[in-house]
Amino acid sequence: MNDTLSSFTSLPAKELEALDKAAGWSLNALELAEAQRQFKKMGRQPTRGELETIAQTWSEHCKHKTFSGPVVFKDGSKVKKYKNLFKETIVKATKTLNRKWCLSVFTDNAGIVEFGRGGKWGLAFKAETHNHPCAVEPYGGAETGVGGVIRDILGVGLGAKPVLNTDTFCFGRLDSKRKLPKNAHSPERIMRGVVEGVRDYGNRIGIPTAAGGLYFDEGYLLNPLVYVGCAGLIPVDKIAKKVIPGDLIVSIGGRTGRDGIHGATFSSANIDEDTSASAVQIGHAVNEKKALDVLMRARDLGLYSAVTDCGAGGFSSAIGELGSETGARVRLEKALLKDTRIEPWEIWVSESQERMILSVPKAKLKKLVAILEAESCEYCVMGEFPGDGRLLVTHGGEAVVDLPMAFLHGGVPNFEKPARRRKIKINAAPPARPSGKYGQILKELLAHPNVCSRHSVITQYDHEVQGGTVGKPLQGRYGDGPGDAAVIWPQAATLDQSDFSGFGVSHGFNPAIGKIDPYQMALHSIDEAVRNLLCAGADVSRTAILDNFCAASPKDPEVMGDLVQAAEGCLDGAIAYGAPFISGKDSFYNQSRDADGREYPIPLSLLISATAPVEDVRKALTINFKEAGNPVYLAGVSARGMGGSVYNELTDSGNNAVAALDMKAAVKLYAGLGKAIKAGCVAAAHDVSQGGLAVTLAEMAFSGGLGAELDLAPAAREKKLTATELLFGESPARLAVEVVKGKETEFLRLVKGLPVAEIGYVSEEPVLSVKDASERLFREDLAGLKACWRKELI
Amino acid sequence: MIIETWTKEKYAKNEEDGFVARMAHAGLKLERARVSRLYRVEGSFSRPDFDRLGKELLADSITEKYSLRPGANGFKGAWRVEVWLKDSVTDVVGESVKGAIADVLGKEPAVVRFGHAYYAACESEAKLKHAVVKTLVNEIVNKFKIEKI
Repeated sequence: MNDTLSSFTSLPAKELEALDKAAGWSLNALELAEAQRQFKKMGRQPTRGELETIAQTWSEHCKHKTFSGPVVFKDGSKVKKYKNLFKETIVKATKTLNRKWCLSVFTDNAGIVEFGRGGKWGLAFKAETHNHPCAVEPYGGAETGVGGVIRDILGVGLGAKPVLNTDTFCFGRLDSKRKLPKNAHSPERIMRGVVEGVRDYGNRIGIPTAAGGLYFDEGYLLNPLVYVGCAGLIPVDKIAKKVIPGDLIVSIGGRTGRDGIHGATFSSANIDEDTSASAVQIGHAVNEKKALDVLMRARDLGLYSAVTDCGAGGFSSAIGELGSETGARVRLEKALLKDTRIEPWEIWVSESQERMILSVPKAKLKKLVAILEAESCEYCVMGEFPGDGRLLVTHGGEAVVDLPMAFLHGGVPNFEKPARRRKIKINAAPPARPSGKYGQILKELLAHPNVCSRHSVITQYDHEVQGGTVGKPLQGRYGDGPGDAAVIWPQAATLDQSDFSGFGVSHGFNPAIGKIDPYQMALHSIDEAVRNLLCAGADVSRTAILDNFCAASPKDPEVMGDLVQAAEGCLDGAIAYGAPFISGKDSFYNQSRDADGREYPIPLSLLISATAPVEDVRKALTINFKEAGNPVYLAGVSARGMGGSVYNELTDSGNNAVAALDMKAAVKLYAGLGKAIKAGCVAAAHDVSQGGLAVTLAEMAFSGGLGAELDLAPAAREKKLTATELLFGESPARLAVEVVKGKETEFLRLVKGLPVAEIGYVSEEPVLSVKDASERLFREDLAGLKACWRKELI
Repeated sequence: MIIETWTKEKYAKNEEDGFVARMAHAGLKLERARVSRLYRVEGSFSRPDFDRLGKELLADSITEKYSLRPGANGFKGAWRVEVWLKDSVTDVVGESVKGAIADVLGKEPAVVRFGHAYYAACESEAKLKHAVVKTLVNEIVNKFKIEKI
C-alpha cells in the first residue's frame, strides 16, 4: 500500500481503482481522478490519512451525493433535469413555506422548531437509519444506531436534552420460506437482535422509546431497515454555535479504538480472536449518559462555543465539520485509546461510539474539566481551531493530514444520474368479490403481520422513563390498543410542571404503495403522519416533518426514477399541508444477492416522521371508544382503489389502482376536525390506514372494550365504490371519530360542509356490527377480533 | 476465574421458558432447560475475594445462587452451551462489572467478561449446535462451546 501511495499522482486509472478497492474507500473513478489532480497541483504525494479523510468526507454517507446531485428524469418523452434533486424538492418546500417557527433547518445535526409558550424552548428532531450494520450484527447495529441519533440531538446547537426515542423497522416476512445466503441471518433473528439493541440502549440511557412501527415485506429479507429517531428540548438561546479561533478541541465520552473503520458498517473478515480492539461496535449507553449529563451542565454554564457528535468518519468528520471555516490543528497522540496498536490514520477515522467533540475557550477548560471529573466522563484535549482554514493532523512528529478545508468540503465532483419512470400496469376495474365472508376477512387482516399487535416489541421498551409519556404506544381500557402518535410532556427537560405544553410524534410509511406509484406513496405517507397527529389532538397546522429515504442501488435508473417521483411528492405534499421538512437522511445501496444469485433490492422506502405541538397534554386524544351511546362519525371520502392494501397481499383483488390523495380537501377537513377536537367535542379518533376502515373500527372497539352498531350508508364515497373497497381499501385522508354525545351539535357546526357523516353509535354490547344500508357486512364478537389481532411477533 | 450465577429454580420459569421458546423457533424441542450468567474475572484476587464477589456483588441472595465452579448448578444429563462475546468485541456489562468489582474489593481486575451458559436436555449435540448457531449466537461477535454434563 505504501509503495502505491508514494506514486499516487502518477497511477493509471486501473491501479487507482485497485488501490481504492484494497483500501476500502468506495471512491469512484471521477473522485479518484479529482483527488489525484489536487495532489498533483500541490506537488506532492498524499498520506494514507489524507486519502482516508477524503474518502470519508466525500462518502455517500457524509455528502449525500445521490440525492443532492444532478439527475435527468425521463417519463416517456418528457425529460426533467435537476441540478440538485434534494434542494429542488425537499429544501424547496421548506423555503417556500418559510415558517417563522422553524428555528434551524438543514444546517445542523437535527432540525429545530419552536416549542411551547413564551419562546424559551426549541424542539429538536432527527431520524436516521442504521441498516447495513444491523444486517450483520443486529444487536450492536441497533444499539449504535440509537446511540448515534441521540448524539445528533446532543450535538445540535449547543446540545438538546433528549426526551423521546422513536424506532421504525422493516424486516423480511418472519414466515419466509426463501433460502438465505450462508452468512445471512433469518428475519426473526434480525428482528430479535434489533429490538433487544434498541431496548437495551434506550432503557439504559433513560430516554423513553414511545413511537415507531414495524413493517414486513420480502423485499427486506436481506436488507432490513432500521430507522431510529430522537427528539430533544433546547433553550432557544443555545441554538447558535460558532467555533472561535483559538478554542481547544476537546473530545469527551468514549475512547477511540479500531471500531467500524471504513463506514458505519464493518467487514466480518476483519474480526477474529486475535483482534485486540473492539472491531465490532457495541454501544455503551452508560458512557453516553455520562457525556449527556456533562453537556447539559456545561451548556447552561456556557463552557463551550460549539459541539458536534462523532458519527460516521469519527474525528475526521466531526473535527473537520466544526473546523470547516477555522481549520483545525489536531494532535492524535493526545486521544484516549482503547488499543495502543492502532495506526494514527485509524485514530483519525475510527467510528468508536459515544464521543462528542467540543470547541472550548481556553479560559473555560478548568471549569469544564471539573464537571467532566464529577460525572466520571473521560476526556482529552486534542488540539485547537487556529483560524487559518487549514486541517493539520499530526501524530508525534508525523503529519497525518495537511489539507485545505476548501478542497475537502468543496472539491467533491458529482455527476449526472439517469432516472426513468418504472412501467407499472394499472388495473382500475372493480375488485373481485371476495369468496369469504367480510367478518372472516377482517379477522385475517387483523392477524396480518403488518396490522397485528406490536405489544411483544413495545413492552420491551421503557416508554415511561422521564415521566412525560402522555400519549402511549399502547392505549385504551386495557392498555393494549394501538396508539396513533406519541404525545410527550417534556417536563423533565423544561422542569416546569405548571406548563402542560407538549408535542406529538407520528409516522407515515407506505412502501407497498411506492411499488405502484412513488409519488402517491410520498403523499399518502405525509397524510398518514399528519392524520395520526390529528388523532392524538395535536395542532397539525404547525406540523414539521422529516424525510428518511432508503433505496436500492441508485445505479438503476428505475430506482432513481422512483426517488425523483417520491421527492416530487414530498415537495407537493409538504406545501399543501404547510408542513416544512426540517431534517432528513437517505440511505442507498440497500440491495443484496441470495444463495441462488437472485437480487433483492428493497422497495423504495420513505419514512415520514412528523411532530406538532399539543397545546395542553391533558386534552390529548386516544383511539379507544370511551362511552356507550356516543355517536361515531366517519370523516373523509372513501375512494376507489385497492393498490398497496394489506387486503391485496392476502387475496389479490385484481385491482391495483392507488387512490389519489386530494390534498386540498384533506387539509380543509383536518382544519375543521382540529377545531372540533380543540372544543372538546371528540372523545376518540383513529386513522384509517393499513387494513382499511374495518380494521380501524375494530381497533377502536376492542381497545375500549365497547362495541358499535354502525351503518356506513351515510359515509361519503366515490361513485361505484364496492363494499370491499369501503371496508378494506386504504384510501387516504379518512378517520373515524367518536363524538361526545352532549357536544354533537357543536361538533356538527364545526365540521359543517365537510365530508363527515354519522355512521352509528358506541354500544355496551361487545360486538362490532357493520352494515351498508340494507346489506349486513359483518357482525363480530370483540373477543374474537382481538384474539386474532393480539399475536406474539417474537 | 469464572463465577457462575443462576436464578433459583422456583423463580426461573420465565427465563427458562424464553430459552425453550427460542430454541423451538429454530426447530429444536428441549426437554428441560436452565440459564446461567457467567463472569470471567481476571486479576490477582484470592478465593475468598471471588467468593465475596459472588455473594455480595454478582448474585442476589434471595433469588439467585452462585458457584466458582462452572456447571455446578445441579443440572445433569444434558448439554451445556457456554456463550461469550469474542475478546475483540466491547463488553459493556463486563466493563460495568469491572468498575463495581473495584468498588467492592478496592482493586481493579485486569479483565472482566460477561457471558451466558445455557443448559439444554435434548436428543443430539448436532441438532443443538444447529439451533444455537441459528438463534442464540452470532459468530461474528460471539464464541461458544458445547459440552456434555
